[in-house]
Amino acid sequence: MTINSPVILAVELGPLRLKNPVMVASGTFGYGQEYAALVPLENLGGVVVKGISLEPRSGNPPPRIWETCGGMLNSIGLQNVGLQTFLREKLPHLRPLQVPVIVNLFGNTVEEYGELAAGLDGHEGIDALEINISCPNVKAGGMAFGSDPKMVFQVVSAVRSRTNLPVITKLTPNVTDITLPAKAAEDAGTDILSLINTVAGMAVDPQTRRPRLGNVVGGLSGPAIKPIALRMVWQVIQASNLPVIGLGGIVSVEDALEFLIIGAKAIQVGTANFVNPQVTLDIISGLEDYLRQQGLRDINQIIGTLEVAR
Amino acid sequence: MILRNAQILFNKPMSTELYHLGLLCPDIAVSIQPGQFVMVRIRDSFDPLLRRPFAIHRLYPNDPPGSLEILYKVVGKGTRLLTTMQPGNSVNLLGPLGRGFRFPNDNGFVLLVAGGIGIAPLPYLAETLAAHKHKGPFVLWFGGKTSGDLVCVQHFKDLGFAVEIVTEDGSIGRKGLVTEHLEPWLIQQDELPKVIYSCGPYPMQRSIAEMAARLRISSQLSMEALMGCGVGACLSCSLRCRPPQGAADPHYANVCQNGPVFDGEEIIWE
Repeated sequence: MTINSPVILAVELGPLRLKNPVMVASGTFGYGQEYAALVPLENLGGVVVKGISLEPRSGNPPPRIWETCGGMLNSIGLQNVGLQTFLREKLPHLRPLQVPVIVNLFGNTVEEYGELAAGLDGHEGIDALEINISCPNVKAGGMAFGSDPKMVFQVVSAVRSRTNLPVITKLTPNVTDITLPAKAAEDAGTDILSLINTVAGMAVDPQTRRPRLGNVVGGLSGPAIKPIALRMVWQVIQASNLPVIGLGGIVSVEDALEFLIIGAKAIQVGTANFVNPQVTLDIISGLEDYLRQQGLRDINQIIGTLEVAR
Repeated sequence: MILRNAQILFNKPMSTELYHLGLLCPDIAVSIQPGQFVMVRIRDSFDPLLRRPFAIHRLYPNDPPGSLEILYKVVGKGTRLLTTMQPGNSVNLLGPLGRGFRFPNDNGFVLLVAGGIGIAPLPYLAETLAAHKHKGPFVLWFGGKTSGDLVCVQHFKDLGFAVEIVTEDGSIGRKGLVTEHLEPWLIQQDELPKVIYSCGPYPMQRSIAEMAARLRISSQLSMEALMGCGVGACLSCSLRCRPPQGAADPHYANVCQNGPVFDGEEIIWE
């Protein structure tokens, strides 16, 4: 095995084939154009776009961001251009690219999830849907869909029944037992699971005694949450037969390898894009280097190879 | 928009809180416009996590070629770390970013207003106005908490600016806030400015925009916000703005992408 030996990074996640396992996470890469000057999108395993709702949403009042030790709190409030503008103005830029485009979607009600899935189905240039179940259910008093396995089942079923695209369900970590919503999504017919979304958090300014975020509470991302993410991905892999995409705090090839070794078939990079917009390219070349150093040819020889002493 | 390492040329304290940081970065210096900014990654680690946004304070085309200067105030973990960086060290820059100042079409009275660290983007604007052979007249109103906040006043004078100083403690110039003294002064002038360029804290910007609207002067305000990405991807640095042409509802603009310079009439003040 020499320094230039070709190595294989392609992975299969059920119906979804990726040229490498490194994707960008929803909400951290806009609609793909924002970083196109720095990152050839076609080099990525996949692009997950900012979450889409049926109607445009203006988002939460600022401040929307606060840096913490090793992390970042945000409360963007799901600001997005809405389904029609996405299809008309954003998707055409992505369509010609040879990269899987995954559309993250969310609704206020179960019915909205189904309508969105139907509205996105059949459009050339969309390769999969990722369901964001971390948002509040308006009809259930604002409780997050993802925190109740029964609601997870309903939401995933609603999407599954309205699309032929591969369906990814993105799980929230803000639950006691992550395997319950994972199983509910599996039972409802999701093809793939991705986790974790942000961890609920808060920060206060002692001088003004006000919350740092306009929305008071927000979601924590960044390196601070990686051990939580890794543990939850591990638990889901033990409990489910579905392919899993791992994310949460990945900033380096070492972080990516941790998720792959515990059995994630692919990873998403989120907050680290803000720090180093080219981090995904570094991770991809780092995976190639790692395989060569290990004398291996194929990334699949790494996936799910965690050695646990019994 | 490019990503480049920039060598530190100097990192000089101007007061207890304010520093001048000189950076060698020809690729960004060649194209960056007044009012645009760069996102700085201070070191190759994830602590502090996010890049920090800084306006271009001055450009030095020949000293050495491709060098630029940032004026920063020590406010937290990132800027405190930045003070420890030495000449010869490097930082990583992402830029040029954002929409900068638009130049006045005609000659005539140009007013610059700065509050505290809000002076940061104005010398480069002033230099560019002078370089464009704009005839002025030029006036800078500069307010600070105390005399130590009022850096680079001589530079503006050298560029042909009349400088009016206001400090909250009265240690130099008029006592109080810029926004208390500016309007009575303006009304006594022979002519009103064609345009006001302003940068400073939110309440000052609001007062300037409201005064400009009363006096029917166009205003360009460089706005500040906590930022995540600097390129319009994270939607963190929101500023409530009037609906764009044809749209019904007010919307949140991104300070990083739609600004940082906004027309005063665009902003909905909270």
